[in-house]
Amino acid sequence: MIWQFIVNGVITGMIYGVVALGFALVYNTTRIFHIAYAAIYMVAPYLLMFLFKGVGIPLLFSVILAMSGTVVIGMAVELLVYTPLIRHKSSSSVIMVSSIGAMIIIINVVALFAGNETKVINTEIAKSLKIGQVLITYTQLIQFVSSLLLFIAFFAFLKFSRFGIQTRAYRDDATLSAVLGLNTLRLRRILYILSSLFAGIGSCLIAWDVGMDPYVGMPMLLNAMVALIIGGIGRFEAPVLGGVLIGILQALVVYFTSARWQDAVTFTLLIIFLLFRPQGILGEKIRRV
Amino acid sequence: MQSSKMGDILTIQSLSKGFSRQVKNSAGEDIDEQYWVIHQLFLNVPRGKVIALIGGNGAGKTTLFNIISGFIMPDSGSILYKPDGKNLELSGMSPHLITRAGIGRMFQDNHIFREMSVLDNMLVADSAYLAERPFRSLLFRNKNRKEENCRLAKAMDIFENLFVVDNPFLEKRKQPAGNLSYGQQRLLGLARLFMRNYELLLLDEPTAGVNPEVIEQIKQLILNFIKNNQTVLLIEHNLEVVKDIADFCCYMENGRIALMGTPEDVIGNEEVQKSYMGL
Amino acid sequence: MEYVIHLIILINIYIILTTSSNLLVGLTNLLSLGQAALYGIGAYLSVLALMVFHWPLIPTLLFSMIITSLLSLLLAWPSLRLKGDYFVLATLGFQLIVFTILYNWVSVTRGPYGIPGIPNPKLFGDIEISGLWAFFVLSLVLVVVVVFLFHNLIHSPFGRALKGIRDDELSMQALGKNVTALKIQAFVISSAFIAISGFLYATYVSYIDPTSFNLDESIFILSALIVGGLGNIRGPVIGALVVILLPEALRFIGLPDSVAANIRQIIYGLALIVLMRFRPQGIAGNYAIK
Repeated sequence: MIWQFIVNGVITGMIYGVVALGFALVYNTTRIFHIAYAAIYMVAPYLLMFLFKGVGIPLLFSVILAMSGTVVIGMAVELLVYTPLIRHKSSSSVIMVSSIGAMIIIINVVALFAGNETKVINTEIAKSLKIGQVLITYTQLIQFVSSLLLFIAFFAFLKFSRFGIQTRAYRDDATLSAVLGLNTLRLRRILYILSSLFAGIGSCLIAWDVGMDPYVGMPMLLNAMVALIIGGIGRFEAPVLGGVLIGILQALVVYFTSARWQDAVTFTLLIIFLLFRPQGILGEKIRRV
Repeated sequence: MQSSKMGDILTIQSLSKGFSRQVKNSAGEDIDEQYWVIHQLFLNVPRGKVIALIGGNGAGKTTLFNIISGFIMPDSGSILYKPDGKNLELSGMSPHLITRAGIGRMFQDNHIFREMSVLDNMLVADSAYLAERPFRSLLFRNKNRKEENCRLAKAMDIFENLFVVDNPFLEKRKQPAGNLSYGQQRLLGLARLFMRNYELLLLDEPTAGVNPEVIEQIKQLILNFIKNNQTVLLIEHNLEVVKDIADFCCYMENGRIALMGTPEDVIGNEEVQKSYMGL
Repeated sequence: MEYVIHLIILINIYIILTTSSNLLVGLTNLLSLGQAALYGIGAYLSVLALMVFHWPLIPTLLFSMIITSLLSLLLAWPSLRLKGDYFVLATLGFQLIVFTILYNWVSVTRGPYGIPGIPNPKLFGDIEISGLWAFFVLSLVLVVVVVFLFHNLIHSPFGRALKGIRDDELSMQALGKNVTALKIQAFVISSAFIAISGFLYATYVSYIDPTSFNLDESIFILSALIVGGLGNIRGPVIGALVVILLPEALRFIGLPDSVAANIRQIIYGLALIVLMRFRPQGIAGNYAIK
């Protein structure tokens, strides 16, 4: 019986990992507290629903277009909000507050157009298969496989491609990278695009399962930030590890007590890590020149 | 009490501080390498004198100051501070307690309060720890006003008497300190150290980046500190200043004091001339 | 006319919230996301004193202020050991944990069902604060006292020390100031006064539930403060005026209620973005967060 919960937790945790990884792509490299990420996360399934259900475009193309739209919205935040502030040499708190402002705008625009109620994209009852004692729905299978493929693709890219090496250099030391001639602006923008993409993929995987409303972004962002802290800020494997751990932890909390204490346990874990192991499990000191 | 007036105010023994950095070994892997910034350093600082600390960049001078002031913990060794017959071990004490014990500090970068007025910079440098408690600030209005007036008088006294006539501090005293020129900010950093009676002052490159007139003023201020049997430990690259006002000079190299003596002796020393001045 | 009085009472509640937060965010540059949690704690403690202990007004208020400020040490102690983003995250964690406890500990707080029927507080035994005008006077008295106290604090050596911390913490340590103790004092005082808002809100609205004290509310209070202005007395007051009166202005120009809430939020979001770029100290403030 407990295995059902653990499997559910792992699969949910992998999506947490996808979303956390997207946040880490921006935070680890630029140290921008990208709170608007919550809104970019939330927007994707709405775009998908509009294209797929509203306009009637076939699913595959709807997904591609929805992801593109999500990236565009993310880029809008980067160009209209972050870039002017970075050029103006604003402090990180100022950027964070602006990010909150952007998030508020996007959430309320969506609420204006689509309403506050929960919407569902996929109205079919999902088929499921049984492995031993554990029941896995087809949706969960898609979630698992998609996340896994995304991780494999990303980490292979990180290790072997030139872009990947540049990203690691930039993460290690932004100033030195710039001095050494790395085109940091272009790199930052590419990372940003990937970040919005991961957010979109993660949220559509979840929304396909349970639907969405304009306010799903913040709770997921909170989980992503806890995953990042628990995993560690440094290597990109960390948020993935953190996400899976949180997924399993939350499932176990539901199994042993009840769903209502998930959040309390998650955030208590955050405080414990912040106080006693702020570098996370895969902790790494980041050297700055 | 004659004996407490002489002797050393600071005795540093076997002080060591290492840092680790990541380097690539021959196989191209990242490993941690340990290197010593301060290594088995011994130093006796005589009371009531100006002692200059010279040495190349990276020799560890600022790190030494940071350790004495309590901002960095040493790996080993002891720092014995002897203000008035007492013996105080400084390593392990937190910075604000070390200051309260009588050791003042001026930093290499211009660390004044840019957004506060020039006058407030002075007032906040007073040792008004009790007055800064919130309840004290709210109640005891008359007492507070009296104390604040005393503080104001002290600050104005410093402005009027310690600086040349026509100094900018009086007329600009209500303006944010960030409006002052670089040299004036340096002088302010020194001036506010007069608001308290320090026994020992650690000044980190006070004359760096300022023009000759201001250097003269700084020299005068430092000599003013000495008048009350205070001690000044001074990191300096400007050897003319060292020769002018320092009673003793220490040459620091490879994390230890390699040579200590009068400025003429140390600066004239062949080895020092070769390694520090490149002659 | 009565509606105007109602608005003024709300404005007063929020002036106390923004002014208290200003001590932390504006004077000391400690960007805390935990205000709503402390606001809620103040409200629930007031309800405890009024409905369980049956205390009159002044003991209730003092009880709420003292216990809230003690509980704020739970927020201050872990948070102050951390710097920068980690500090903000710790305050965020505190806010979320408190909300979850208020929401889920149903046996004590009645969770999402909330607590209705909060009685009117009694002053000196017989005088009951009941009705719009009584609360108007009460809120006015409390606002004046709070603003007056904060004005004195800002211009006192304590205020100057906090400004020194926000300007250059290292120098403050080098000048012998116990920076950690000063920051904790800022937390404790700020929390004690936020509790006053909790008391006012609970007694005026006579019903509280945890959703009034969640992360959104923290962000709301912070936004009001940042938009109005940081660092002085005027800023927080203007901030409270703006966030309470803006919805009324929107209604006045004929915006239908269904879209009003969203449009209002969009305006706040825009205000934050525009101000942070062009006037980070806020409309009437004198300090920009670092």
